[in-house]
Amino acid sequence: MFRGKRRAVVLVAAACTGALLAVVLLAGWASGGNSGVSYLDGNTNAVLYATGHRPLAPDFTASTLTGSRLSLSSYRGRIVVLNFWGSWCVPCRAEAPTLAAVSGQYQRTGVAFLGVDVRDTTASAEAFEHNFGITYPSVSDSSSQITLAFTAVVPVSGTPTTLVIDRTGRIAAAVFGQTTYSELTAMLATVTGKAG
Amino acid sequence: MTDVRIPEADPFDAAADEQDGRLAGPPAAAPGGLGLAGWLRWAWRQLTSMRVALVLLFLLAVGSVPGSILPQQGTDAAGVQQYYAAHPALAPWLSRLGLFNVFGAPWFAAIYLLLFASLVGCVVPRTFRLVGSARALPPRAPRHLTRLPHSAEYSVALGPQDAVRVAGQVLAGHGFRLRGPADGGGSPDAAEPWVSAEKGYLREVGNLLFHLALLGVLVSVALGGLFGYKADRLLVQGSTFADTASDLDEFYPGRLVSAADLGPFTITLDSFEASYITSGSQRGQPSSFDAQVSYTAHPGGPVRSDQLEVNRPLSVDGAKVYLIGHGYAPEFRVTDGRGQVVYNGPTPFISGSSGNFLSEGVVKVPDAQPEQLGFTGIFVPTAVDVDGTLQSAFPAADNPVVSLIAYAGNLGENSGPAQSVYQLDTAGMHQLTANPQVLQVGQSLKLPNGQGTLTFTGYVPWVSLAITHDPGQIPALICGIAALGGLLLSFMMRRRRVFVRARAESGGGSTVRVGGLARTDASGGFEAEFASLADELRSVHRAAAAGGQADPEPDPQSEAEHRQHEGK
Amino acid sequence: MPINLALGHVSNDFMIAALLLYSLSVLAFAGDFAFGRPRRTQPTAVLRPAKAAAMAAVGAAGAGAASAIPASASPAAGAPAVNSGPPAGTPDSMPALAVPPLRAIRQAGRWVQAAMALAAAGVSAHTVAVVTRGLAVHRAPWGNMYEFVTALTCFAAIFFLFVMIRYRAWALGVFVMGAVVVALGLAETLIYTAAGDLVPALQSYWLSIHVTAMTVATGIFFVAAVLGCIYLAVDRYDRRVAAGKAAPGNGIVSRLPSIEQLDRLTYRTIVFGFPVWTFGVIAGAIWADQAWGRYWGWDPVETWAFITWVLYAAFLHARATAGWRGRRAHYVQLLGFASLMFNILVVQVFIAGLHSYAGVS
Repeated sequence: MFRGKRRAVVLVAAACTGALLAVVLLAGWASGGNSGVSYLDGNTNAVLYATGHRPLAPDFTASTLTGSRLSLSSYRGRIVVLNFWGSWCVPCRAEAPTLAAVSGQYQRTGVAFLGVDVRDTTASAEAFEHNFGITYPSVSDSSSQITLAFTAVVPVSGTPTTLVIDRTGRIAAAVFGQTTYSELTAMLATVTGKAG
Repeated sequence: MTDVRIPEADPFDAAADEQDGRLAGPPAAAPGGLGLAGWLRWAWRQLTSMRVALVLLFLLAVGSVPGSILPQQGTDAAGVQQYYAAHPALAPWLSRLGLFNVFGAPWFAAIYLLLFASLVGCVVPRTFRLVGSARALPPRAPRHLTRLPHSAEYSVALGPQDAVRVAGQVLAGHGFRLRGPADGGGSPDAAEPWVSAEKGYLREVGNLLFHLALLGVLVSVALGGLFGYKADRLLVQGSTFADTASDLDEFYPGRLVSAADLGPFTITLDSFEASYITSGSQRGQPSSFDAQVSYTAHPGGPVRSDQLEVNRPLSVDGAKVYLIGHGYAPEFRVTDGRGQVVYNGPTPFISGSSGNFLSEGVVKVPDAQPEQLGFTGIFVPTAVDVDGTLQSAFPAADNPVVSLIAYAGNLGENSGPAQSVYQLDTAGMHQLTANPQVLQVGQSLKLPNGQGTLTFTGYVPWVSLAITHDPGQIPALICGIAALGGLLLSFMMRRRRVFVRARAESGGGSTVRVGGLARTDASGGFEAEFASLADELRSVHRAAAAGGQADPEPDPQSEAEHRQHEGK
Repeated sequence: MPINLALGHVSNDFMIAALLLYSLSVLAFAGDFAFGRPRRTQPTAVLRPAKAAAMAAVGAAGAGAASAIPASASPAAGAPAVNSGPPAGTPDSMPALAVPPLRAIRQAGRWVQAAMALAAAGVSAHTVAVVTRGLAVHRAPWGNMYEFVTALTCFAAIFFLFVMIRYRAWALGVFVMGAVVVALGLAETLIYTAAGDLVPALQSYWLSIHVTAMTVATGIFFVAAVLGCIYLAVDRYDRRVAAGKAAPGNGIVSRLPSIEQLDRLTYRTIVFGFPVWTFGVIAGAIWADQAWGRYWGWDPVETWAFITWVLYAAFLHARATAGWRGRRAHYVQLLGFASLMFNILVVQVFIAGLHSYAGVS
């Protein structure tokens, strides 16, 4: 009788362990894998969202480095490249020439570039822009509200982060990290539907 | 805690179970060797034996020792680096053995996992056995009570049936579970009626509760490790941060945690004040520090204020925010060679071991023209000159001063790996000032060759915050309290049995024999209890006989006697 | 709040007084060994069973009790015994009841009476010293090493006083009180710290709870360690006698409780202290979570408190394991106390961590 009980105990323990294992594996597997998402050239940091699976970019109104007020919704109808950066951030400095060049290139096509300056002071930020020839405006996110709002929608994990927002205000593509000229132009080509 | 693995060695159970006749022995080896199943069973028996549990406990204790002596990677990464520098030959070997991360090492995990396996293997059968015996009656009274470790014998002028009945009532009044001759089969022994009494079942309940609660603590710790996270942030007075991966200085998620699980709160440091003892033997020790913060639990939510202190964390969005430390951030304004203001704001400096918050820091101006500029130096809150070196005499900023060395050149920030904001890589730079320049608030340092100017404009405090989320915290506390409760229960209770037999004597009275035994926990104490119980039984019997009727109520005076003796 | 220096001085004075009183009590306990009544202590004072006739004759008021060890079935309050008398000819055989403690002390002789009185006075003075220190600094008086040692010896002395009264174990008084004197004396001379404030990290009501529990538990384990040493010494003597290397009938050993009683007493002491230590660890975890954001971080002091806990748990398991009872179990217990001492004296002072609040430079 006692041996039968022990067998029952072992079976119950094994079943519980198996169930726990299954749940853990399932949770791990389920947290990945979304449909409608593809990667540029296999780079998991360069994400393209197919139409119909694009998250809505949260609107914000903030002060630019020069002191005027700007809101994202005023760009509705245009494609916007939104770049999170800081003058202290090494990869941001490395990609700044790319952003300056591409922004100039796409100016005639109506693609707007907008920067979000993170954990920075106005003096350092303006010096950065002057240094790298950044002519497009940047808003100051000193209260971290813009970062917070976007983190709820796409996995912004730090700077730099570059988002491409389509004409309807939805995020069509994202680079979580430093971007390159070819990568950025390829993304813009996909979203605008034409080569720059 | 008693050893229950070998029933035949336990006189308690043996004496009681002779009637049941179940004494399980070890399984006999099958002819031709044990076979795999046999070996596994043998290994399992060994693992769940007390001896192996003892060895594992020793290993657990010994294994923890290096974790407290050597610097550990998780809490003191800098210390590990220093150890490598000081012991270049020994350190890699220690690292291979996992001695710089003892509590996460596989061998340490093996020890406590084996220990818990041994615990489970011991506790689960005992739980089944306890449940099985929950309603079992005490065993029949042995024939020869005088052979028990404690016994008493006296005569009383009551018939045996009455004597046994009265005895049963007294014992029931003490909370014993009874078994009379009418219960549980066997022919009622009219010549010598008996009653069996047993008490103290809760001891085993407490024992099992304690061990299971330890298991619960382990599970809670694992929960925290999987679903919890820790993060750090240094916050300068006046600035705000949001609980996102990009806005935190350090982020240590649990295994199943991602940045998306962080609560969307923001915190602003409105002000910070520290006060220090100004006189006496403890001059310079902090007497209080508190931070006024305002926070929102989610974007657009109401702004609340709170006073954050040491030992008083802020709870927001399921996370707790702790005030860990503080320091000074001197403010600088740098004008470059073109006359443009290229840097203007507070720079956190970190206090080192020099004492009294003498802090070190770095100012990097990567967008200065024509050359990038960098400054390294110290901030001294209360500066005094001691033989030519600057030292801080007091932690409050009574006489704040900075001392800086200026560099120009390539900071190395335009490409390559990320740099620490507290360290300046001067490899690509040339020094502009030969000696450190000391500045008071408002003073400026003019760089040579028209490279620019740095002005020390003031200082603000900063705080360091720790943000933690640990879903296993409350379960661990509950399990800890349950473990304590089980421990107290198992220590306070003792399983013991008392038997009473009454044999009729000529002349209408009977000889009453009382016997008792306690489970061998070798702690003693039953002797005194048995003595007082026997005395009470005799008093009650004598009172019942004297009352002329089989009056079951115990005499109040003998009750008083009993209580007085029991109080010893 | 400013430190009350006057009360601080009062505390110091009472501490010295306690030290003196304890020393005198140790002398008195030693005097009992040298000059007192020769007998072996019964820890529960269960006496030899008396004849039934004597009990029946004692009857109502217990008057005329023999000057030797009287059996007592009547309460001292004098209520008449309600025996209706046994049938003639058959003597009762009853285990005898415990003697009240004050009477037991009186029966033990003048030296024991003096020693117990001095020990009690010493404990009172010690308690006053600890309490006034707390009043002087407006917080629980165990915030640095000096305060901790004075407080733990106070708890040890209180606990041992209780043990001596409950188990009539005054034969052990010279050893345990002697150890208390040594510890207190070292604290006063080597690590004395004037009354002062605490760093803000320690200003929490959890301080009182966590460090109180640890102090009380350390005091109890201190007593257990001394008892363990006595056990090992007696055990070694017994083994030498059995091997013929020592003469039996040693004067000191014959006055001590039997080795089984020593073992039981030590066990019960640790059984008392282990839950207190466990509670202290839990309270410390709660405090650590409030102060540092995590309830367990393998800080060196936390780790050694854990090691101490595991070793005392090993002692409790050893007593239930064949081959580990007796001498080996006591080695384990002493190892546990050694780790506790190492934690207090070495880890807290020398190994850097969040816990370095010893106040010793």
